[in-house]
Formats: sequence, structure tokens, C-alpha cells
Amino acid sequence: MDRRKFLKFSAGGAAGAAIGASLAYVKPFSHAPEKQAERVEVPTTCEMCVNKCSVIAVVENGVIHKLNPNPENPKSRGMLCARGNAGLQQVYDPARLKRPLLRVGERGEGKWKPVSWDEAFDFAAQKLSAVKEKYGPQGTLWSSTESFQEVFFKNLALSFGSPNIVRHATLCLSSVNLAYSLTFGTVPAFDLANSKYIIISGANRMESLITPDTMDLIDSTMERKARLIYLDPRFTVTASKADEWYPIRPGSDTAFILALLHVIISENRYDKEFVANYTVGFDKLAEHVKPFTPEWAAAETEISATDIVRIAREFSDAAPRAVYYAGRRSSWYRDDLQMRRAQAVLNAIVGSWDREGGLVPNGKIALGELPVFPWDDPTAPRVDEMDKNFPLAAKGDGAYLKLRENVIAGTPYPVKAWMIHKQDPLNALPDQARTLEMLQQMDFIGVTDIQMSDIAWYADVLFPESTYLERTDPVEVLNGIRPVVVYRQAVIKPLHDTKTTLEIVQGLAKRLGLSQYFDYTIEKWIDAEVKELPLETPLEHLKRHGLYVAPDFPKYGTTLTPDHRFITKSGKIELFSDRLLESGYDPLPVYHAPAQPSAGKYRLLVGRKAYFTHANSNNNPWLNSFDHGDGLWLHTQSARSLGVDNGDTVEISSNVGKAQLKVRVTEGIRPDCVFMLHGFGKRSKWQRLAGAGACDAQLLETAWDKVSGNSALHETFVSLRKV
Amino acid sequence: MAARPKRYAMVVDSKKCINCKACVVACRAENSVPLAYSRPWMNEETRGVWPKLMATFQPEQCHQCAHPACVRVCPTGASHSRSDGIVVVNEADCVGCRYCIIACPYNARFFREDKGVVEKCDFCVKRLERGALPACVETCPSQVRVFGDLNDPGSKLAQLLSSREHRLKKPEAGTGPQIYYLI
Amino acid sequence: MKTIEWGFLIVNYLFLGGLSAGLFFVSALATFLYKIDEPSPYTRIARLGAYLAPWPVMIGCLLLIFDLGRWYHFYKLFLHLRLVSPMSIGSWLLVLFNLVALVNCYAWLTDRQRNILFGKLPSPLKFLSKFNYDIDHWRRWLALAGIPVSVGVGIYTGVLLGAVQSRPFWNTNLVAQLFLFSALSTGCAALILGLSGRKESARELKLLYGLDTCFMVLEFFIVLPYLIHGQLSVQAVQDSLQLILGGPFTILFWVFFLGLGLFTPLVIELRELVPAIVSNREFHYHRFVAASTALLILGGGFLLRYIFVFAGQMSSMQ
Ligand SMILES: Nc1nc2c(c(=O)[nH]1)N[C@H]1C(S)=C(S)[C@@H](COP(=O)(O)OP(=O)(O)OC[C@H]3O[C@@H](n4cnc5c(=O)[nH]c(N)nc54)[C@H](O)[C@@H]3O)O[C@H]1N2
Ligand SMILES: Nc1nc2c(c(=O)[nH]1)N[C@H]1C(S)=C(S)[C@@H](COP(=O)(O)OP(=O)(O)OC[C@H]3O[C@@H](n4cnc5c(=O)[nH]c(N)nc54)[C@H](O)[C@@H]3O)O[C@H]1N2
Ligand code: SF4
Ligand code: SF4
Ligand code: SF4
Ligand code: SF4
Ligand code: SF4
Ligand SMILES: [Mo]
Repeated sequence: MDRRKFLKFSAGGAAGAAIGASLAYVKPFSHAPEKQAERVEVPTTCEMCVNKCSVIAVVENGVIHKLNPNPENPKSRGMLCARGNAGLQQVYDPARLKRPLLRVGERGEGKWKPVSWDEAFDFAAQKLSAVKEKYGPQGTLWSSTESFQEVFFKNLALSFGSPNIVRHATLCLSSVNLAYSLTFGTVPAFDLANSKYIIISGANRMESLITPDTMDLIDSTMERKARLIYLDPRFTVTASKADEWYPIRPGSDTAFILALLHVIISENRYDKEFVANYTVGFDKLAEHVKPFTPEWAAAETEISATDIVRIAREFSDAAPRAVYYAGRRSSWYRDDLQMRRAQAVLNAIVGSWDREGGLVPNGKIALGELPVFPWDDPTAPRVDEMDKNFPLAAKGDGAYLKLRENVIAGTPYPVKAWMIHKQDPLNALPDQARTLEMLQQMDFIGVTDIQMSDIAWYADVLFPESTYLERTDPVEVLNGIRPVVVYRQAVIKPLHDTKTTLEIVQGLAKRLGLSQYFDYTIEKWIDAEVKELPLETPLEHLKRHGLYVAPDFPKYGTTLTPDHRFITKSGKIELFSDRLLESGYDPLPVYHAPAQPSAGKYRLLVGRKAYFTHANSNNNPWLNSFDHGDGLWLHTQSARSLGVDNGDTVEISSNVGKAQLKVRVTEGIRPDCVFMLHGFGKRSKWQRLAGAGACDAQLLETAWDKVSGNSALHETFVSLRKV
Repeated sequence: MAARPKRYAMVVDSKKCINCKACVVACRAENSVPLAYSRPWMNEETRGVWPKLMATFQPEQCHQCAHPACVRVCPTGASHSRSDGIVVVNEADCVGCRYCIIACPYNARFFREDKGVVEKCDFCVKRLERGALPACVETCPSQVRVFGDLNDPGSKLAQLLSSREHRLKKPEAGTGPQIYYLI
Repeated sequence: MKTIEWGFLIVNYLFLGGLSAGLFFVSALATFLYKIDEPSPYTRIARLGAYLAPWPVMIGCLLLIFDLGRWYHFYKLFLHLRLVSPMSIGSWLLVLFNLVALVNCYAWLTDRQRNILFGKLPSPLKFLSKFNYDIDHWRRWLALAGIPVSVGVGIYTGVLLGAVQSRPFWNTNLVAQLFLFSALSTGCAALILGLSGRKESARELKLLYGLDTCFMVLEFFIVLPYLIHGQLSVQAVQDSLQLILGGPFTILFWVFFLGLGLFTPLVIELRELVPAIVSNREFHYHRFVAASTALLILGGGFLLRYIFVFAGQMSSMQ
């Protein structure tokens, strides 16, 4: 009986609730706590995204009732975001993976046969060995995204003898990391809590949450402690909180930064003493930036010369409490590294280094290591030929897109088996069609996941891992200005026939004859890690608190001593990078004007929302009840010229794919851009939102940053057609 | 200070809200609220013309009114004000006539089809008993909500109210709302 | 979140409650006018009214109970009396009214009817037949007692809505009066309908027409100030009026309620009355016309509640 018709919704929450009403409600309220419920609180660590916030799980009569934030963590503090709160839905989701599955139909057909773990292990081991026989261990590819337990997966790959480990870094942050490493010899943290002046190029911190940066930023901007200058073609939440928002012309940030450098240097506003003591290559830099006047940059960026000059002055005045924030997902453009280098150099010359309110080298906490039976490291070269293609990049992480090209081409050698851990390449890599191509030419695909993700949907065998609330993982150090060791302990016993990564790895190792390398328990592993900590009973402490906070941090100025050697070629901060030069790249940040969309085309921008994580949490009923990705952002003018209204469906086509999506007409995006949220338009039929919305990975074209190999996700132009 | 009776209230600093919806999910979990309903909700608005835009995000929930219309119209007394000012629904006495929903100027109440009773924000009384903060208050990355006792001059809430400009929603409704929005 | 909580059940409940109140009120008036043991038009009106009055409101109460989220908890309404809650007062008032109306109905039974009634009692209930009293002499007292109660019920159906400040569309004391007079006129209409069946009801109908026109004129002179007052009132009220002035209920309100439900019957009735009164010619009536007039009024009364219940809930402050 529906006596309660919904009228209009005064409230987003309510609107969300209405959408949500259609979805199954899965938390077992039958178990809802009675008066004298047995109630325990277990501190652990969130895994709903990369931030690893500290959580206190409230368990009532064996059922997780609520996840609360653990204020002891200096990074996540009292915060637990929407996804963190919705974490228990992952556990109680009836649609999660409950037992090993073997594919019986075609790949992607979705026909499965439940099997025992033994059968699953035997099958996988036999396939992997067959490939090893035929193509050698390098014929196997092992990809994973950072996680506490990832180490076991990687060790299996290495002991198996494969050099081909590819991680999420070249889909995410490898270019920014490389840029800062080349400049400072390390990737620093940003002391936003104490900065007075913060410039951000499209790092959407108010929606793309990073701890503690997001909270620091909120605090310093809202409480007017700092001035926030935000550059983004899109009116994001961060833009709405900024003191100044500039809808910069996409891809022109480097020009903006070069002009800042020009002004600061030509007006002698840089920190001469710091530059003299700690940097190399300033003169070359000064010479290099001469032509990049504010007027020149204004034409490139569409930010007025007067604003550029003023910002440059304010920035240098505020230094060293002034930062040009690095950002995290730097998978933007083909020369992203140069843009991040430009930032780093700017931060350096105003002396915002290792001082309060500036860039600060990450505090570290040393963990012990369990001595394991040593294996010989793989001898074969990597299939993505890192040394040849990306000599400066981190070998261990690989270069995902180049790797995909080579695997499809079968050069330098064939790769025929693919093991995937906690990663969804079908959504994470641009040009999904290519990823499918790569996938279809594999003899074997094994996936560990907790839900029927798109990649799981295409697996030959599925190893269901226990969710983060059901398992104990290796401990992890969260570096930062206030480093902390976080601990994830099982809050409840696994609800289903699932295993931890270590158990899965051991099951495979046994059958691959690699058992000797994994002859330990998670407890042994953790004991070894924590025994170094300055505590009598470290493990007890972690179990009780869920974390260990290192004392006497923050530390400033540790690198500001005459005899300190930066981990760079020159031992100093490299404004001019010899290593870039030697490898045939621009040693100083050079700006290449980005291609512009031809008439009737738009640049496709991608990004996030505070309550979704990539492609992996939009199956969560508590999260997707708010929206299903809120459509394709299209500027009012563009909509008018296309003759589309809010809510109309358009076909979006790029050179590599087509997709259909409802438009969301808004003033909040540049007329030459469109934006869509990452992670929707799922292929997996087990996903609640299967088919709902559109998948950006189907539209994005293959492009990568020349130096780091990081994917370039903002280089795609699309055209729209009303349907 | 003299033990004056508690008067719980909430200060909301909407400017700090990033619309992350953590509060909404936290409340759902804490109070086992089915997906069809929500105790708190967000008022979202983007105004202006490119590129001069501004967005506001404002969380709202039951205002725990001092003169609650819901309580006045309730035929059974199921809806009542506690001595600490929190307005609660005693499910046992609720007949599900929904008069209170209609009477609430803030549309803060909803009818639980599954239970046949009316529900709304109760400042997480169960948590308060344990000395914990309301779920939405605790979990917020921006500390947008400040919960406390109006009658305790030492409370952060009281201090904010004495130091910052603030306003009430729909005061003309005459229900004496107790959620104070900082300006 | 904004929802429609009260639907058709409540609309019917308010209508039927008002109808009973009207029936009783008119019958009670007639009771004072009729002369014992001398068949007069008043007798028929009073008797028919008394017979009909209890039943609509009873059905209405059942509907109300079934509208509750937990109907089997309805008794809880009677574990409390909350004088600040219109619904609480109303619930008690309805019980009282039901009692008076039932007893009154009994009081109007003829000896024959009573004997048949008690005769039909199944054997286990036979003992009841010792209650087979003739209480004709109570009629005037019951009428006296019942008039304020019935007026109360008529007003209450309006107060239930009018007391809700948060819904601008309702937020005026005029609603209570409007509902009262509408209730009384639906009562008349029901009686007109009932009596129009007989050929020789001229005198009864003349009386009822007279009464009814008064009620409808009064009703009209409440609708008018309601609209004007609303237009001159605060923004919220003005906005809420848009629901009937260029909103979803405009046609319903102007054409069907005001036009067909109020004006048309008023005109018809006056057309019959005026000549009869002015140049006291004999009062004519056409059975079909009378019946359809009554139906229009009843329809109008129902629509009034329909419009107010829904529009009211859709209206909200600022
Ligand atoms: N188009 C587009 N592509 C992008 C991005 C973008 O914004 N747009 N962002 C890029 C960035 S920054 C990144 S970091 C990458 C991230 O790309 P991915 O690393 O693929 O990240 P997720 O989408 O979170 O996928 C994680 C997978 O792990 C599964 N999973 C979750 N928890 C567990 C667990 O406990 N155990 C196991 N075994 N599996 C688990 C999830 O179900 C999901 O299938 O994507 C990149 N690709
Ligand atoms: N809620 C939530 N938080 C997350 C994640 C999540 O999935 N969900 N993922 C985490 C991970 S792994 C990462 S890497 C980070 C990513 O977080 P961010 O580094 O903030 O990356 P995005 O969120 O993709 O935001 C990219 C922004 O850049 C803008 N942009 C596009 N082109 C240009 C340009 O040319 N110039 C400028 N100035 N701006 C441009 C886009 O409009 C978009 O708003 O978020 C982390 N935090
Ligand atoms: S940011 Fe949210 S999802 Fe990510 S770890 Fe923290 S609480 Fe979990
Ligand atoms: S949790 Fe805080 S910041 Fe997030 S939506 Fe709620 S009030 Fe706003
Ligand atoms: S906001 Fe509504 S529900 Fe809450 S106390 Fe006030 S009137 Fe009652
Ligand atoms: S629904 Fe329940 S709480 Fe609301 S007025 Fe009726 S009885 Fe009272
Ligand atoms: S105070 Fe408690 S009940 Fe009220 S909205 Fe916040 S979490 Fe929900
Ligand atoms: Mo990332």
C-alpha cells in the first residue's frame, strides 16, 4: 500500500533515500541489538579507500552494528567518511563473493560453478604451470593495487619468477611522485594545517578525500587561517570553498606555474639564502622562465595577468608558509611530469621546504621484517621494457598502458596468464576495449576480489577474499608529518567460505612448489614487523588501540643542515635535473600547449565524489542511494547549442568508444569540457548498478606521460549526440 | 557551575560542510534506518552564473523544538519532550496516525511502513546514555555540527553561540527550534 | 522529507463525520418544531435524520482506525485525553456523538419497529428485550444534548486541519467554520435526497431548501474571505493558495466544488424557493431535480475535504 506518495524533495538526502528505496536493504536488523546486547568495540583499519583511517567497530551479538571513527589517529582524527560508515554493507552484502567460483561459460558470460578451495587452487596452479612451461615465468602477469596484504601477492609473483608485476601507480600518482623525487629526492607531505597560502591545481580535496590533507584544508580555509587558490575547469566542492577559483583552460597549469616563477624571480621574491644553500640550477631556471610573462600565461590559461602577478606576490610573501599542493591522481596529460616538476621547483625557490606550513619530508617509522626463505629474483626483462621506455620510473610498479600495448602485440615476448589482486583494470585503465583485447588473449585469468567486480566477471577462477572486517592483515606505516602505524584485526569471523590473501597465496604456493617461501603465519609476520616498535608489548598496544602514534612528531628542518645530502644526483634540491637531461627529457619544466577540442567536441574530464571510491563502492546500497553518478556535466551554453535539456540522454563518442548518459546541465563546468564520474556503467551483472550510468574507461583514449608512463586521462575529446 | 537542567541543542556551521554525506550514512547505521528513509538530510544549492558561482550545503534534521508542534498534536502523548529538551517518540504509545508528521514545519518526521510508527532524529539518545556524541556529529570530517548543552556556558556550543552570528530556520513557525545555523 | 500522509481514508472520514453531524443537527432542529402526535413535515425530517445520523460517522471512524499505522493500537487513543491535541479531543467527541446519535435513533423508532427489532433478536440475546422501552419523551432532551455535540463534530473535522500552523493552506480559523457549514448543508442534502423519493414531500423540501440555502450562503461567505484573507496574508499563505489559483487543484476547486457543488445547487434551490416565498405561490419541486441537487451538494462537500486534505499537505512554509 503506498499511502505516502513522494512529492518534491526539499532534501538531497531524502531524494537519495527515494532512489535507495528501490534497492534491497541488506543489514540484518533481525540481529539488531536488544537491551542487554553483548557489545564489544574492536579497533581496526578501514579499507574502503586508500586512506586507511582508524575505525572502532561496534559489534553487538556478533553482528557489526556500527563503525565509529577512532580519534587517536592523527591522520583520520575523528573522521569516518560516508564510505567508511558504509563499510559494514560490504560484509553483509548478499551479492558479495561467498565461495570460490570457476567459470563455465564464455569469459564475461557470467556462468559460474561453485568449487572447493582445493579445486580452485589446483585449477589455477595447473594453468600457471602450463604457461610457465610454454613461455617461462615471465609469461605470467601479476597486477595489484596497494593494500596491506599486497606484499604476499607480490612475493608469490617474484618467487614464481615473474618480473611482470604491475601496480596501480601508473594509473594514479607515478608522475607526481617521480617529479618530486627528481627534485627533492623524496615525495614530501604538505603541511596544510600551518600553511598561509595554498594553491591547488585540480586536486579536489573536498571530494577526493585524503587524510589529513582534507581536514587540514577544511580547517585552514574555513577558519580563515589560509588563503586557498583553486584551479579547476569544473566547479567542484573544493572550488566552492576556495577563496579564489579559476576555471583554468585544461592542460595549461604548467603555463600558470611558469608565469608564477617568472614573476617571483624577476621581482627577486624568491628565498635567496635557501636557493643558494640547498638547490642547484637556479641560474638556468631564471634564464628559462624569462619568456614566460604573465601576459603570455594569461593567453594560455585564461587567468588574467594581474591575477597571476598578484598571486605570485601573495604566494612569495606568504612563503615559507605557502605551498603549491602536489595533488595525488596526476594521471592527467602526456607531459604531466613537467607540470608537477614546475610545482616542485616553485615550492623550492620560495623556500617552502621542511619548514612549518611548507613541504615536509615524510616522517617514518621503521618496521621489522620476517626473514623468509630467499628466492632468486626474476632474470627476464619486463614486458613493458621499463629501462628502455621509462628509465627514470619506478621499475617495480611497471607502466600499465605501455605494458598493455606490448602484451597485446606479444612483444618482446608473449604473456598468457594474468593474476589480479584487489584491482579492476577494466575500469582503472583507459580504453576498456583494449583491456578486453589484452584479457581475451590470455590463457588464464585468476582474480581475488570481494565482490563480482567487472574484472572478476571476466575471470576464469575467482578467489573470494575475506572483507577487511573479517581478516587480520600485515601492519602498515602511514607516513606523513605525523607518521602512524595502523593495525587491521578481524572484527568478526568470516561469514562465508572466504580466505585472506596470505591463505590464498599459500594455497597456490603449495601447488606451485613454492611453499618454502610462505612457511609462516600472519601472526609470525606481524610479530616480526612490530617487535621494533618502542613499546614493551607492541601487539597488545595495537590490538587495544588499533594503531601506534610515533612520539615527537612533527619534526621540521631535519634536512636543513649544511651537511645533509638530498637523495638526488647532486645531493641538493634539483631545480635543473641532470637525470632528466641524461634520459633525453627537458631538464627544466617546458610547457607544450595542449591540443584543443575542435568545434563540436569537448574535453572529457573525470574524477570523484566524496561517497564513491573509484569503481568499487558504487555497488554499496548505502552509498548509491545518494545518486548513480549524477550524469554528464554539460555547460548551459553547450546544452543550448546542442538543443539538450537537463535529464536528456546523449550519446558520448570518442575515438575508442561510445556510451550513453543523461546530461546534467550546469553552470559549473567550462563550456569546452564535459565531466563524468568514474566507476559506473558496470559490465558485471552481479552489480546492483549493472549498466546504470556510463563507464568513462570505455571512452578514454590511451595516452601516457612520457617520463613516468603514468596514464593520461584528460587527453580525450568527445562529441555528443542527443538520442 | 550550578546544576541547571540540561538543554541539548546543536550548532551547525554549514559553511564547513563538504556534502560528503558521512552524517547521513552514520545515522542510518547507528539507528538502523532503512534506505527508504533518513533522519538527517542535506539542503544543497548552487547559485550564480559561470564563472561567478557559489554552492551551499546545509545539513538539517529534527530541530528538537522547545514548543514542538508534533508533540502538541499527538493524541496519545507518544511524542513528548524530555527534560533535557530532546523530543522523542515512544514507539509503544504511537498509533501511527501521522498527525505529527503533518504538523512538523520542518518535515523532519517520517512514517515507518515496516513498523507502523513515526520516527525522527532523537539526537542519538542511546549514544548519549553511553556518553558518546551523536553519530552524525562524531563522524563529520569538518566538524560541521557541534552538539552540547545550552545551559552549560562552558560548552563549545554555548561559546559559539555567544561569539558567532547565527540564525534559526522558520522561526515564524513558532516551535522554538534548537538547531542554530552559524552565519 | 515531504510526503502525503493523509489520503482518501481521511478525506472520507472527514466527509462522513460532517455528514452525520449535519444529519443530526437538522433532525434535532426539526425535533423542536414538530408537534407531538400530529403528523407534521418536521416529524418526517426529524425521524429520517435520526435514523440516518449514526451510520456515516461510524463508517468514518472505522476508516480512521484502518488508516492508523497500527490499527490494532487504536484503543491507545482512549488511554489518553490530551486537550491540546485536536485529534485526541476529536476521538472522544466522536465516541460521545456516536452514543447520542444511536440512542436518538432508537428514541425515534416506532413501537412497531422496536417490537420487530427485539423480535428478531437471536435467543442468546433475548434477555435484551427487557430494554424494549418507549423513550419518545427523551427526543427533545437528546436533541438538546446532541446539538452542541454535533456542532462540535462538524467544527472538529475542520479544526483537525485548521490547528496545524505548519500548513499555510489550512492555517486560518475559517477552515473550521467552512467545514461546519459544509457539514450542515451536506446533512440537509442527504435528507433532501431521502425525501425527494416521495411525491408529496413539498413541505419538507421547502423547509430543507430554506435551511440549506442559508448554510450554503454562509459557506460561500466563508470561502470568499478565505481567499481574500489568504491573498493579503504572508507569502507562505499566498503561495499555498496557488494550489487552487493556478495549481493542481484549480479546476477541481473552481469548477467542481465552487461551480457545481455550491453555486448550481444554490441557484436551483433559490429558483424554487424565491417565488414560493415572495409571492407565496405553492412550492413546486421536481423529484429528479431535487435529487440531483442533493447529489451535487454531497459531491461538493466531499470535494471540499478532498481539496483541503491534499492541498493542505502539499503546502508548506517558505
Ligand atoms: N577513468 C578513470 N580511471 C581511473 C581513475 C579515474 O579517476 N578515472 N583513477 C585512477 C586512480 S587514481 C586509481 S588509484 C586507480 C584505482 O583503480 P583500482 O586499483 O582498480 O581501484 P578500485 O576501483 O578501488 O578497485 C579495487 C578492486 O579491489 C576490490 N577490493 C576491494 N576491497 C578488496 C579486498 O579487501 N580484497 C580484494 N582482494 N579486493 C578488494 C574492489 O572490489 C575492486 O574490484 O584507478 C585509476 N583509473
Ligand atoms: N571519495 C573519494 N576519495 C578519494 C578517492 C575516491 O575514489 N573517492 N580516491 C583516492 C585516490 S586513489 C586518489 S589518487 C585521489 C584522487 O584525487 P584527486 O587528485 O583530487 O583527483 P580527482 O579527484 O580525479 O580530481 C581531478 C580534478 O582535476 C580536474 N582537472 C581536470 N583537468 C584539469 C586541468 O587541466 N587543470 C586543472 N587545474 N584541473 C583539472 C578535474 O576537473 C577534477 O576535478 O583521491 C583519493 N580520495
Ligand atoms: S577516507 Fe573514508 S573510505 Fe577512505 S579510509 Fe578513510 S574512512 Fe575509509
Ligand atoms: S558529514 Fe559533515 S561535511 Fe559531511 S555532509 Fe555531513 S555535515 Fe557535511
Ligand atoms: S522539528 Fe518537527 S519533529 Fe522536530 S521537534 Fe520540531 S516539530 Fe517536532
Ligand atoms: S503518529 Fe504516533 S507520534 Fe505521531 S501523532 Fe500519531 S501517535 Fe503521536
Ligand atoms: S543526531 Fe543521531 S539521530 Fe539525529 S541525525 Fe544525527 S545521527 Fe541521526
Ligand atoms: Mo589513486
